[in-house]
Amino acid sequence: MRLETRKLLDKAFSGLGLISIAVMAIALLLILTPIVWRGSKAFIFKGTIEHRRVMLELFDRGNPEKFNQESADAAAARAPVYQMMEAFEAEMKAMDRKKRKEYKAPFREVENALEELLGPMPGQRTPVLLRQRYGQTRWDRALVKLHETLYSEEWDYSNADAMGVLVEKPRVDFFTGTELEPLFQYLEDYLPEMMQPKTTFYYQFITDKSKDSHIFGGIWPEVLGTIYLTIGAMIFAIPMGVIAAIYLCEYAKEGRIISFIRICISTLAGVPSIVFGLFGLAFFLNTIQVSDSKSVLAGSLTLSLLILPTIIRSSEEAILAVPRAYKEASLGLGASRWHTVLTVILPAAMPGILTGIVISMGRAAGETAPIIFTAAVSVGAPLKIWETLSQPTPALPWNIYNLCTEHEAVDEIRHVQYGMVFTLVAIVLLLNLAAILMRARISKKLRG
Amino acid sequence: MSKKANTSLIMSDAASRQQRISSLLGQAILFLITSLSTITVFFIFYFILKDAIPFFKSEGFKEFFTTTRWYPSGSPAEFGALPIFVGTGLVTLGAIVVAVPLGIAASVCLSDLLPFNVRQIVKPVIEILAAIPSVAYGFFALVVFAPLLQNHGGAILSTGVWIVLGPIFALLTMVLGDLLLDKLRNTMSPKVATSIVFPILGTLSFLFLYRLSANLSGVEISSGTNALNVSIILGIMALPTVVSVAEDALQAAGRELREGSYALGATRAETIIKTIIPASVSGILAAVILGVMRAIGETMVVWMASGNAARIPEPWYNMLQPVRTLTATIAGDMGEADHVTGSSRFHVLFAMAFCLLAFSFIMNLISEIIVKRSRKKLGK
Repeated sequence: MRLETRKLLDKAFSGLGLISIAVMAIALLLILTPIVWRGSKAFIFKGTIEHRRVMLELFDRGNPEKFNQESADAAAARAPVYQMMEAFEAEMKAMDRKKRKEYKAPFREVENALEELLGPMPGQRTPVLLRQRYGQTRWDRALVKLHETLYSEEWDYSNADAMGVLVEKPRVDFFTGTELEPLFQYLEDYLPEMMQPKTTFYYQFITDKSKDSHIFGGIWPEVLGTIYLTIGAMIFAIPMGVIAAIYLCEYAKEGRIISFIRICISTLAGVPSIVFGLFGLAFFLNTIQVSDSKSVLAGSLTLSLLILPTIIRSSEEAILAVPRAYKEASLGLGASRWHTVLTVILPAAMPGILTGIVISMGRAAGETAPIIFTAAVSVGAPLKIWETLSQPTPALPWNIYNLCTEHEAVDEIRHVQYGMVFTLVAIVLLLNLAAILMRARISKKLRG
Repeated sequence: MSKKANTSLIMSDAASRQQRISSLLGQAILFLITSLSTITVFFIFYFILKDAIPFFKSEGFKEFFTTTRWYPSGSPAEFGALPIFVGTGLVTLGAIVVAVPLGIAASVCLSDLLPFNVRQIVKPVIEILAAIPSVAYGFFALVVFAPLLQNHGGAILSTGVWIVLGPIFALLTMVLGDLLLDKLRNTMSPKVATSIVFPILGTLSFLFLYRLSANLSGVEISSGTNALNVSIILGIMALPTVVSVAEDALQAAGRELREGSYALGATRAETIIKTIIPASVSGILAAVILGVMRAIGETMVVWMASGNAARIPEPWYNMLQPVRTLTATIAGDMGEADHVTGSSRFHVLFAMAFCLLAFSFIMNLISEIIVKRSRKKLGK
């Protein structure tokens, strides 16, 4: 090859490497951006009057006088809507039977859509389901519901060769010439007055219980469950892991048995997480029965086995990084081996061990598969600390799965799903950030 | 007086024995705790196998491994898990295709190209990629990526082709062109040859890419939750593993090799491709194996975004169809099978878990052996 081409190839090669790094960074950005952006909207959003009603009635929060004032304003803005509907009902009664029948179903559709948007009509009985007692609590959802009120969706199958196409028809066309006709324009023009949107900072999203399977309220049971599971896993895994690392570094003589143990540790690290879940079910629940049903205890035990290899490895690394001189000085002063470990080696290795522990905490908090069969339930109240021994709990990772695949109103609670993912990712990344900072401090210290 | 001093300096036999025993006892306890992970591994194998054997006893191996009808809740129940194995393999293959080239390129970049300061910034990016919980990746795949793929599938595929294959084809054109120039040197003047060869090759590869992307942009994806979606996300998830292990291997190749190669007049690219990568090929292999294990063992992403259809795609490499994997089947079916503990439906899931376990165990052993051998070879 000619020299120029070789140089060009060299540059191109470097370019490929840089591109791969860039692709990785872009992938990270692409994944994190929607989670952070839409997740933060679970906390900061335009809340309507209905949100403040929910807060006041379900969570005892807010200023009742101010709310009554706003509520009266909203009711005044809504009054013409209900007047128009009453007028139309009267008009319908006066129609002949055939025409009345024709209008009845579309009118009920409008009525239902309006109930979803604004909440139950005045004078109506209080609905049984909590979600039907209130209108839309978020301005963005209110706009979606407004659209559903203004337009009806129909499938167009006129082209027999292609799949059906969804077309939207303005409902106003159907009601032209009736008392209901001005309603649609009125809704479009006066929605802000009817809903009173206000920028809301709902930081209690994390600490509120959920009401009516996450339609209202926050995610406290899940957050608490995740905290319990993580701390439980650490309680079991830290002593075991650190002691094992001490033994492997300071006491064990390299030989068949030790290398076998090392192979087992790396095997354990490679076991798929779902297999840990099955093992937890078969061993902790079905065989030794740590609890009658799924429980936080069983889940914590399973998770602790999952993170054990990580803790052993990182602790080992930290212990090996302690300069030999420390150990030799301590032994030379006549301290026993155990004494040396406790008073010299462990304190010196502590920052490194802590880094590993913090990283595995993040891992334990985010793992889903091991807790599916051992600890997690979809709906539940926050547990008291002693209940963790015998009862299952909701947990962030499991409920994220549950809410976005099995919930009956998946699209209505997107903000809750994003909020949960955001909270989980934030917890895990904060833990990792702490670990990264700790490591930076350690390496600075080692460099002097 | 002198006797007293003696006793205080030299331990009596009894005290010495006592100390030795207590130290031995302490060590024994430490050893027991250390061997906990060994016990756990044995327990995992034992308990998974214990619940898997009843399935093989009652249903045999043949149906499970070779037939394609998976109706565990039908009557009679059918347990043909071949589509599920194929699905697992397909998804893992896709993840490798994404993760391995990207991961190796990135690890080369990290170990040989980037200056120290930049590396300090890039490393946290990889750590964050590794730290994001799998359920968050699954959520992204299901809620963000799947609708995108479904609505703009063709456009995404064709831009993907340009982004991925564009640089590769540009490189290829340069290499091929140069080789051709060497051949033509005797018959033509180099200037003429250059002005002929490169435009022709460039146009050819451009035309090829253009046709490919034009074809792909016409593709309609009927469901965004399919093997392609999952493969890409799994590939991204496996990337950190591949990068960090491969980078360690490349670093371990040492300065001497690099400097020797530079001294012979090789460029950086030639040094890496012809010297460093061959020297650390076993470590890179281990990185690939660990990446495969990460992809195969992953549950949440495939459960949420693979479509969960127990069918072999047609043709088998069709990534645009929904598939089902072993992990997703275990996670999804256990909820229903749990109430009928002891049925074949319950035990078949343990049989699948055993297959996963055995596979990851073997892969792990292989990678251990490879790493050990390469360490010996490099003299460390």
